[in-house]
Amino acid sequence: MMKYLSLIIILAGAYLAVPLQFGGNDYVIGIVVSALTIAGIAVAWAMLGNLGGMISFGHSAFFGVGAYGSALLAMNAGLPVFPSILAGGVIAGVVSILTMPTLRLRGPYFALAMLAFAEIFRILAIEMRWLTNGSGGLLSIPRLPTVFGFDFGSRLGGYFVVLTLVLLTVFVYWLIRNRPEGLALRAMHDSEDATLVVGVNATRLKAAVLVVSAFLTGIMGAFNAHYINFLEPDYAFNGSWTTLAIVAAIFGGYKTLWGPVAGALIVYLVDQFVFKAIMPSGHQLILGGLLAAIVIFSPSGLLPWLASRFRKEAGDAAHP
Amino acid sequence: MIARMISSVLALTLGLGAANADELIIGSQIPLTGSAARAGMGMNEGIQVAAKVFNETNGKHTVKVITIDDESQPAKAVAAIERLNAQGALAFTGGYGSNIIGPASDAAERLGKVYMTSGGVATELSQRGLKTFFRISNATGYAKALAGLSDTLDLQSFSLIYSTRESTAEVAKLLEEIWTAEGKKVTLHPFDPSIADFKPVLHKIKLQDRPEAIAMVGYENDYVGIIRAAKVLKPDAKAIMGTWSLATPKMWQDFPDLMNNVYGTAPLPYPAQFNTPEEQTFAEAYKEMHNKEPDYLGIFGYVQGLLLFNAVAEAYDAGTLNSGGVQDALRKTEHDTLIGKVIFDESGDNTNFAHRMAQHQDGAVAIVWPKESATAEARFPAVPW
Repeated sequence: MMKYLSLIIILAGAYLAVPLQFGGNDYVIGIVVSALTIAGIAVAWAMLGNLGGMISFGHSAFFGVGAYGSALLAMNAGLPVFPSILAGGVIAGVVSILTMPTLRLRGPYFALAMLAFAEIFRILAIEMRWLTNGSGGLLSIPRLPTVFGFDFGSRLGGYFVVLTLVLLTVFVYWLIRNRPEGLALRAMHDSEDATLVVGVNATRLKAAVLVVSAFLTGIMGAFNAHYINFLEPDYAFNGSWTTLAIVAAIFGGYKTLWGPVAGALIVYLVDQFVFKAIMPSGHQLILGGLLAAIVIFSPSGLLPWLASRFRKEAGDAAHP
Repeated sequence: MIARMISSVLALTLGLGAANADELIIGSQIPLTGSAARAGMGMNEGIQVAAKVFNETNGKHTVKVITIDDESQPAKAVAAIERLNAQGALAFTGGYGSNIIGPASDAAERLGKVYMTSGGVATELSQRGLKTFFRISNATGYAKALAGLSDTLDLQSFSLIYSTRESTAEVAKLLEEIWTAEGKKVTLHPFDPSIADFKPVLHKIKLQDRPEAIAMVGYENDYVGIIRAAKVLKPDAKAIMGTWSLATPKMWQDFPDLMNNVYGTAPLPYPAQFNTPEEQTFAEAYKEMHNKEPDYLGIFGYVQGLLLFNAVAEAYDAGTLNSGGVQDALRKTEHDTLIGKVIFDESGDNTNFAHRMAQHQDGAVAIVWPKESATAEARFPAVPW
């Protein structure tokens, strides 16, 4: 009951309090949108890492493919923006099938193979000039539309869209996690050999979760393309889309449902609003120190640490 | 309570506020870190000098320039514009690289405020139908300068090495068109912006192309990589030339073994020779603020800054800041500047933009083209290897 109440309060805060408080300040909303974009990728990345134990360094590939797919469909095929975003996710999901040979690999080999795929897609985006305009990129990508008089192309409109996308991503993660397949995937994270012994089709499940993770990352890339109205290969396939998501997920606790979201919001917002104000150039240094501290003192992330503190305090209160 | 606390902290960190009656707030979004930092810092120095000169000479208004580092990233550039707007900026200046200027100027257009730059030359930037976008430089001016010098030197064959980025590819395309129309031989060598080893390209140029001149359209790290590879392979060329960020004192200072005899675009020589009162005012203010001789990035930053400050002040006096007064002030007249007359067309492009060619000559940057602006004879044939 307490859990649902907390969720309702968080949702009310996200959909009502934040717009009411900061809706008039494009800068603040813009930074929150960027943080939520990272949050969406972080959840999709954590899904692959937690369910199936696949640590990917190449999620920027899916982000970039989704972004280019959606932008090109909207610009060249005249598809409306919202269906284009969905199609961008589908394209990223389909493209992830090309990366499936990497499922034979484990640990750092899988991570590096995915990194190589991200580089391959970046180079493809540069070389396929007839389609992507190469390194020149795409300018003036169609904005999010106005629907029933509400301009989703505004900063506040973008906020509502990305917030909804992140919540849907978390919901998909929750659904998969609570199915028997989710249990099998989590077991594979600890020992894939043990799950094979009891008859789990590990390859099929890993392939399925890879497609879902790629789809969700592609959706975030597609949203970003229409939000910022610009794409170039170095931007769309930039490794920072992966590293920031990994940092956020590990900071918040990548084995928890909300950890990646909390991690992304804290890492990005504190960096931009506090550290950058203190240190306009080189503010990432402070962030790096903070991350190192979290990893050293709470390897499972911030949310599990807070939860254990909360439980300890509740226990102390119950048994003084 | 929590929301109030958060908003208070944000208000403090963001420094929200509006312009005073006579203090005009200008936002400067510029790369001070990241891949474009060297160019961004040069431009920023010029903008700061423009603010100092304006504040000392205008008599009626002063400007306050708030600068935000866009970290050479498009998304951070958009965030910078929005933050500057929240801090009361009346117009924006800065930006380096068409890939960053594109989304940043889109954001400025949405806010209905003028965006002025000298750091992006891609033609598409001025073909988006934006009403608030202005720039003092463009691809045509750079291409014409290189072509003009090569005519003077009577060069007949070229290996054209260029980055596949929008602006560089565009200048390269213009050069190819000009040279091909003149019946000259051009061999193209496009390269990915992430390439650092140019030896394979130079090897091909040496053995297959055998050009009279090597032309480069890229950025500082590209030039350094290309000339380094040329020093190793020593192609039999008579000249090597490039575009922006090449004929600068900073490049000589950092890479003296690579720069001698290299040609690049530059509006003024180095050590600079300032003759008109405006040039002398600029030079004195620049030396006072930065304790060094100005380079072309500083000059461009100064020109774009001063043009914008004057236009904002004019619109402020006319009470038309919120009704397109700044863009009207920029478009309605010719502006005499350090880089010559600036005339903006409907798309915000400076139709009068023309560049000069300079050559690194033992630590000096000598203007060698056009003839009427030359400060020294071109050394020809001459290459750094």
